[in-house]
Amino acid sequence: MLGYTLKRLATGLVSLFVLATVTFFLVRLIPGSPFQNGGVSDQVVEAVEEEYGLNEPLFDQYLTYMGNLVHGDLGVSYQEPDTAVAEIIGRTWPVTVSLGLAALLAAVVLGTGLGILRAVSKSRIVREGILAGGMLAAGIPNFAVAILLLLVFSVKLGWFPAAGLLTPAHYVLPVISLALYPAAVISRLTGNTLSAELGKQYVLFARAKGLGRGRIIFTHALKNAWIPVLNYVGPASAFLLTGSFVVESIFTIPGLGREFVSSITNRDYTLILGLTVFMGMVVILVNLVTDLICAWMDPRMRRSYRGR
Amino acid sequence: MKKKRFTAMFLAAAVFCMTALSGCSQGQGDVASEKEITIAINSETGTLDPAGSIALTYLAYSVSALDELLTFDENGEIEYRAAESYEVNEDSTQWTFHLREDALWSDGTPVTAADFLNTIRRALDPASGSGYAVYLFPIENAEAIYNGEMSMDSLGVETPDDHTLIFRLGEPCVYFLDLLRLPVYTPSCEKYADSVDSGWDKDPQTSLSNGPFALEEYVADQYFVLKKNDSYWNKDAVKLDRITYRFFDDTQAMAAAYETGEADVATSLPSTVMELYSGKDDLLVTDQIATRYIYFNLNVEPFDDVRVREAFNLAINREELCRIVGEDTEPTYNLVAKYMTDKNTGERFVDGAEQPFEENVERAQKLLAEAGYPNGEGFPVLTYNYPTLEMDSDTAQVIKEQLKQNLNIDIELKAQELQANYSSRYAGDFDLCRMNWTADFADPYTYLSMLLSNSTYNCSGIQDEEYDAIVEASSREQDPAARSELLHQAEQRAVGEQFYIIPLYAMKSVNLVNPEITGIRKIPASGALEYRYADIG
Repeated sequence: MLGYTLKRLATGLVSLFVLATVTFFLVRLIPGSPFQNGGVSDQVVEAVEEEYGLNEPLFDQYLTYMGNLVHGDLGVSYQEPDTAVAEIIGRTWPVTVSLGLAALLAAVVLGTGLGILRAVSKSRIVREGILAGGMLAAGIPNFAVAILLLLVFSVKLGWFPAAGLLTPAHYVLPVISLALYPAAVISRLTGNTLSAELGKQYVLFARAKGLGRGRIIFTHALKNAWIPVLNYVGPASAFLLTGSFVVESIFTIPGLGREFVSSITNRDYTLILGLTVFMGMVVILVNLVTDLICAWMDPRMRRSYRGR
Repeated sequence: MKKKRFTAMFLAAAVFCMTALSGCSQGQGDVASEKEITIAINSETGTLDPAGSIALTYLAYSVSALDELLTFDENGEIEYRAAESYEVNEDSTQWTFHLREDALWSDGTPVTAADFLNTIRRALDPASGSGYAVYLFPIENAEAIYNGEMSMDSLGVETPDDHTLIFRLGEPCVYFLDLLRLPVYTPSCEKYADSVDSGWDKDPQTSLSNGPFALEEYVADQYFVLKKNDSYWNKDAVKLDRITYRFFDDTQAMAAAYETGEADVATSLPSTVMELYSGKDDLLVTDQIATRYIYFNLNVEPFDDVRVREAFNLAINREELCRIVGEDTEPTYNLVAKYMTDKNTGERFVDGAEQPFEENVERAQKLLAEAGYPNGEGFPVLTYNYPTLEMDSDTAQVIKEQLKQNLNIDIELKAQELQANYSSRYAGDFDLCRMNWTADFADPYTYLSMLLSNSTYNCSGIQDEEYDAIVEASSREQDPAARSELLHQAEQRAVGEQFYIIPLYAMKSVNLVNPEITGIRKIPASGALEYRYADIG
């Protein structure tokens, strides 16, 4: 298991290296300069580019950047010259994480609950209602949900504030916008796998032994039914923890996603690279943790790792 | 039975989660005695350091927090701020300003001439990234210092005592007073403002102000708060206790925040808001001192032929264009911003002369035929570059259609990201390119100087000695009326005779303002709103 983890970490580092390299050169291919805007003369742009070493050969700049990266130095933002990229990540990531975790929690609770309900309910209306609701929720893109929620619950009804993340009430609408899609998927997966589990012999055996229905579902069947779900929840949480540009932008939330998009618009090379490498790291780590949890839950998988 | 219990448990859990999230929505501490307003502005860009790389955030901050030497009010009269009076020598090359002796920084220390010099010196270092450094170049040796050819000691600025500031100019500059509102002429406290990247500008302890409000809190990406500056020399005229500026990325979100009451003022909204709020007190439409126009690339055939350029200008129906693009636009036939005031007459500058040309499709067709393209035959397919903003995309479609209909010419449309559009424009890599210019200062020179042969904004390859001579003569002319005449003459040559550009429209700015707020003023130079003497309730 330890060997497997180390191996995964090593491939993760290689992925990060490739990611940083490709992004470095791709970013430079975008036309435009970080210091050019409608009102700045060429003279000024050139002087500033020289100051930041942007007129040196591209490959030299790459070596300098990678050298700094190895030492954990992500550089300084071009748009905020007094701010290190690491500082910007430190400022925006907690915002994204708090929102992402709330959305993840909501999606898991809602999705699992509805999934179980669909698997165990004897009423056709409930089962098909949940299925149809899930399809609808998975079908509407989150920016449409976000705008709809904003217009109805904030602008028209005035129940929730429209912008920022200052109080718990600010979380409600963005959390729903983010959680709806994963909740729908989790509900469908849980419903399907749990139905299958409930038809298996060990469930019949447990029932014959006189175990309560709740106990069968929560302590036995759900644990097995959840392994496929977990394989979805892992990448989904990586997505939620790296920030959604659309939702953050609509609700004016100062998180990682919003910062990422504005860094691209501003051609803030160091910030784009720093954020990409950081997001890559989060995705790699979350996926690793997901696999480890799956292995812990499923002895069959654990055994297969030992072989590698 | 069990199933029902499970359903009930699930519902209870769901309800609990919802209430846990929404339950404790706290009121945002409204204290009745404090007068506060919240203003929604575009997302955060640039520093608050007048010598640094500034953008919209600084402009919002400075109108409330910083006093320039002097400014002009809506009637074109001088309003003294940090200065009390000034003198100028006969040929407008030496300007002496006497600073207000009772002016204090927000920490109670006096504002001195050295604080003004502090900004100028720091901005003249290219590392500062100041886009406004070029406006210091009228000062003796400033350009050479910026280019590293001379030392800072040779700069033509003197501070004989704490309250006297003297500018020696390299050449006469009659519009020098208009430049004083620019960031590079605004003071920064010598004690703290030492460098553009030390972070002093966003720290309330070191970011001092000499104006009506001072920085109280700055939360990156979210908002900043200004509180009334009790050391301000004119504090009795200041009514508000606090102004909060909140950053928004999206104009839709901004309008929503106004609607929910999270913002008292929302600026630069899309034109659809105009229709939604038409007839309501909340709507405040202001003039933007800006012109949207198109650059021809004169190095591309057949735009080197003035007849072709004239034909394009005459064939476009600007009334129709503006009807389609939005209610916030108005046709213009000038380069100088339609709403810019001529301080000598108090009227709009462009109304001081005949309209440079009239639209005329028949004549356009005749000109095109004379140039060798009867009914558009044989005319090459050229490309129009424009940024992917909604307004510019709509404009491009309409122009393509009108040129096809009126001249039987096809143009290819090339939408670019804003940054990419700037880059290809600066590189001269275009046939036709959309351009927008917002006045930096309230003088037609800010527009006309762009077409000078040696201007960095002259991206279309214009080399016109006669035009250069007229514009340069206007800079030396001391008599306001005669100077105005020269400026009109220059514009007529560029726009009405040589047709170097295609002027399209002037724009309005759509704002929503809580009707309870009074005393908001419009800054004549930029058209922006100023809240320093505003009041609420």
